[in-house]
Amino acid sequence: MILDNIQSVAFFIPELILTGAVLVVILFHVVSANRTSQFPAFLTLAAVSAAMIIAGGLGAGGTKDLFFGMVRIDEFSTFFKVILSLATLFATFMSIASLEVAGKRQTEYYVFLLSITLGMYLLASSVDIVMILLALELVSIPSYLLAGYLKRMERSVEGAVKYVVYGATASGVMIYGFSLLYGLSGSTNITDIGRAVFAANNPIILYLAVAMIAVGFGFKIAAVPFHMWSPDVYEGAPTPVTAFLSVGPKAAGFAILIRFFYEVFASRTGASTWSAVGGVDWMSIFAILSAITMTVGNLVAIVQKNVKRLLAYSSIAHAGYMLMGFVLLNIEGLRAVLFYLVVYLFMNTGAFLVVILVANAVGSEDISDYSGMGVRMPLMSVCMGIFLFALTGIPPFSGFIGKVYLFAGVINKGIYWLAVVAAINSVFSLYYYARILKVMFLESPKSSEPVMVPAVSRALLAVLAFPTLLLGVYWEPVINIAEASARFIAGG
Amino acid sequence: MDQYLPILILLVVSVALSLGFVILSVILGPKRYEKGKFSTFECGMPLFSDAKRRISVKFYLIAILFLIFDLETAFLYPWAVLFKKLGLFGFIEMLIFILILVVGLIYAWKAGALEWQ
Repeated sequence: MILDNIQSVAFFIPELILTGAVLVVILFHVVSANRTSQFPAFLTLAAVSAAMIIAGGLGAGGTKDLFFGMVRIDEFSTFFKVILSLATLFATFMSIASLEVAGKRQTEYYVFLLSITLGMYLLASSVDIVMILLALELVSIPSYLLAGYLKRMERSVEGAVKYVVYGATASGVMIYGFSLLYGLSGSTNITDIGRAVFAANNPIILYLAVAMIAVGFGFKIAAVPFHMWSPDVYEGAPTPVTAFLSVGPKAAGFAILIRFFYEVFASRTGASTWSAVGGVDWMSIFAILSAITMTVGNLVAIVQKNVKRLLAYSSIAHAGYMLMGFVLLNIEGLRAVLFYLVVYLFMNTGAFLVVILVANAVGSEDISDYSGMGVRMPLMSVCMGIFLFALTGIPPFSGFIGKVYLFAGVINKGIYWLAVVAAINSVFSLYYYARILKVMFLESPKSSEPVMVPAVSRALLAVLAFPTLLLGVYWEPVINIAEASARFIAGG
Repeated sequence: MDQYLPILILLVVSVALSLGFVILSVILGPKRYEKGKFSTFECGMPLFSDAKRRISVKFYLIAILFLIFDLETAFLYPWAVLFKKLGLFGFIEMLIFILILVVGLIYAWKAGALEWQ
């Protein structure tokens, strides 16, 4: 159902709430003299929660194309909107808890956070290449600013500058790819483009377009070889921002990647299967990208000495795992990606929260400074164990279930080499995740005084650790929701 | 493919011709090296400073602000032409758009982007 501009407004309320919150925070900055007021943080929490709840409610009413087919509301976009809102909420709580952010001027920080959330909402739901580009930039530009938020620190600025240069180049290449598709189809709507690609018999142009668009989306999900920016950005940015960037924009990137490729370069062949169209074998390209991404991410993570940098490479590796599900062209693969994103949201954010708490206590992110944390902050260290073992994919934690679905999908499709590469990579990853835990629990502490963790952080730790445990033993509802959401791709 | 052949021939001929002239002038041309030859503009005015000067970062701020309001005008023109057709809805839509920009302007003003110390 295609709605016009006035009809659309009623279904656009979540985005309007976020826009309104951005304006209010800016105006608050202008009128308020209190530079460290927590008001912007609380407004962000309220606005994002409200947007999430309303978006969840609107998603149940069937598929709708808003603004003459710019933005689509369906179960797929709703699923992502909820994940992305949770990522923002966690990031906000972490920002309140972190000493890196709490002492500084807050208003702009939350304006950027809210703008990124708005951009991610649009990215997850846009079905028009102009809208995709606009949403991608709305996510990217505030991300550059947040990456350089600690502007007195050299590595923060370095990360931000690299991010800008890479981001601008990636967008440029991607737009070129879009323009080829526009030339082929004469339309900016991805459903129309999909029809034109189906009819076209010009693999050279289509391969070019796939390659160029893969650059733009690959940059957003930090897939190798478009990942160079991410370790520097993740290391230089304030840790709450790092946690946010490694989950939120990455999930939004996967949303648009899946929607775009399944709508444009694939056609439905059954209730739960697709086939590639236009003579383009993009699945093989992404399967190879997936293998390279996880291998590079894991191998480079092994030699890292800074925990933030280590987690940056590990998040590159996880993008590689998730790409495995993306290339399968069936519902099994898609639901595995969506489920893994949920699991990844909790375990990865949790690991970064522990990094913040340790940094608050010892003022460092080096692995060697984690020595004896098992004695000084026992509860937090146990939580870190849960998050890291979940990231490795060890039963009974949720990461294991996520990986089981991904591996099962790949093996059922018969791509055995990819499953073997992923299995070897999981073994690699155990080494560097376990090394952090070894330092925390087995090495003697530098000082033995216990560190108090504030109540807010303890509550947030529990909120993140509980689903990581629960989804490892009882995951049925989430995988069902993921499957239902994935079915809605391409007019299901 | 056939209709592209003349273009290909033109391309080859033009590349060969221009390369040929450059190579010929390198081989046949007289070579006299003097100081004037190595200045930036051999036949221009004498240089008085380096082109790689640092420009105040405030220019960029002004440029960004200019860009925003330039775009606003680009939106306002078609809106003004169709004003009667769009009616009240178009009027309110444009008011919201301008309101958002005004909030940005107030912020920039307050942050001191318009002052040139």
